Amino acid sequence: MHMANELLSVGVACGTVAIAAGGLALICRRASRVISSEKMALMGVMGAFVFAAQMINFQLPGMPGTSGHMVGAVLLAIILGPHAGAIVISSVVIVQCLIFQDGGLLALGCNIINIGLVPGYLGYFVYKSVTIGRFSNFRTYVAMMLASVIALEVGAVLVVIQAALSGVLLVPFSTFLVTMLGVSFMIGIVEGFATVAVLGYIQQVRPGMVGESLVGRVRLSRKAVLVTLGVFTIITAGGFSLLASNSPDALEWSYLERPDQPDFVPMVSNDNSTIAKADALQAKYSPLPDYSIRDAQPTKATGWTSFAGVIGAGLTMALVWLAGRIVRRREFAKA
Amino acid sequence: MHHAHIDRFAYQDSPVHRLDSRVKFLSVVIFSAVVLSLPVSSFSILACYAVGPFSILVLGRIPLRFAFKQVLLVSPFILVLALSCPFYDRNPVDTAFGPFVWEISAGWLRCFSILGKFIVTMLALIGLVSTTRFADLLGGLDKLAVPRLLIIQLGFLYRYIFVLIDRAHHILRARAGRKLRNLGFATELKTASSMLGSLFVRSLDTAENINIAMQARGFDGEWHGVRKLQFRWGDGVFVIVSIVYMLGLYFYSKGV
Repeated sequence: MHMANELLSVGVACGTVAIAAGGLALICRRASRVISSEKMALMGVMGAFVFAAQMINFQLPGMPGTSGHMVGAVLLAIILGPHAGAIVISSVVIVQCLIFQDGGLLALGCNIINIGLVPGYLGYFVYKSVTIGRFSNFRTYVAMMLASVIALEVGAVLVVIQAALSGVLLVPFSTFLVTMLGVSFMIGIVEGFATVAVLGYIQQVRPGMVGESLVGRVRLSRKAVLVTLGVFTIITAGGFSLLASNSPDALEWSYLERPDQPDFVPMVSNDNSTIAKADALQAKYSPLPDYSIRDAQPTKATGWTSFAGVIGAGLTMALVWLAGRIVRRREFAKA
Repeated sequence: MHHAHIDRFAYQDSPVHRLDSRVKFLSVVIFSAVVLSLPVSSFSILACYAVGPFSILVLGRIPLRFAFKQVLLVSPFILVLALSCPFYDRNPVDTAFGPFVWEISAGWLRCFSILGKFIVTMLALIGLVSTTRFADLLGGLDKLAVPRLLIIQLGFLYRYIFVLIDRAHHILRARAGRKLRNLGFATELKTASSMLGSLFVRSLDTAENINIAMQARGFDGEWHGVRKLQFRWGDGVFVIVSIVYMLGLYFYSKGV
């Protein structure tokens, strides 16, 4: 569920980190007006509760030997309210990345969006729209199931879109999408059951908690919901850029090259040597030319170069290790 | 209760432990970005880039076996992705190493590239986390303009994870002591849900008690760290060395 660094290109990683950082900053600023210092302990402990809750597993039906466990994102959003819930889940994802190395550092932005922000807000929105203030048991449970499944499905779709936008996928886009949707559907069902069961139990022990948010009365304004859905739509629509063709874009078509007209003479030619040198410099040193990672074709000469590189790296590591040993021995002698 | 903390090596002392946490965090992020943007076919350059995290781990006195065990723990998803590459890309390419030239499919090249980059970036992250106390890391992130509310949340979360994991262990052991056979999905779910519910209610009570204790000691929403963050000359040396290292390797790889 947590993406590793290798599923992303640097451009997509930076973009999603920016989106996640901006989103979190906005949420923190809005929520800190409502969340007094009294609620901070509660939010911290709720985050720790999510960690502990993920250890409690139960046997899955029909699959002997496998057990499912609760993720808890939608539960938190329903109980704590959307803003505090989003902050708590994002903090859980950050700690999972930093302390438990679950998910890469550059993929942190994507993980925060896919697991924390989008499922939290979307799940809360679905839950609220289905219950619409009427809290009969059946209606609440249906709302929770629906919220869990939809939230996790959308998170999975975002993973696929981000991986495809990075150009890392070798399998066809639709294959990966269908696989992820299927897997996350099953996970969503399990999560929905667990959420329903836990909230049913809480309703017996502490009735009245499910109907209202604990941390202040933060109302999710209609505009905020529309903006969130709009951003999600843009991200989804960006996925359609994968169907983009390799033909030159409109500007290049007008003056540079037309693949369908082989006799076309380029209308622009620039003989300035400075420009040519600048172009050559940029082509040589840009990390992602033409939005792809370039491959070098190896020959026998590069074979020896790569040999030298690997041997050199190995020797350097051995030297560093030796130096570490010597320094350690000297420090022991000193103490 | 004794916990195998993931960051148990963070409380040792070494030159790397004494570095400023902001410097370490930013260098790991930039290093990961640079390693990720390497072209697929350059393994020698990847090996050269691997020297960086390796040095950090050695100088920081982190056992390498521990680091590789951590890498193994988080590798399943990446293994699936990497091992699917040879099935989908069967274009033959020529690879050369030393005097040997042989033909391999581009999918295998991609597979090893993904695995290599994964190991290198994971080792860098493990180096960061194992040489930095979490409180210092949070203080550094605070100075890097992360929202204060998030920092406080992370601080509390880290403090109480291990307390609640202990409670969850107790509950799990109680269940193991009372359960003799598989009881079917509905009963299992009900049991698990009551375990979760009781954990949740106890967490709420704990949070209330913590809040009252903090209010009684004058908590007003500000999180004060004990150690001050200072940018010392050791940090300057580290920054210069890592910039020279990464830039040097970058231009070397372009020149090759």
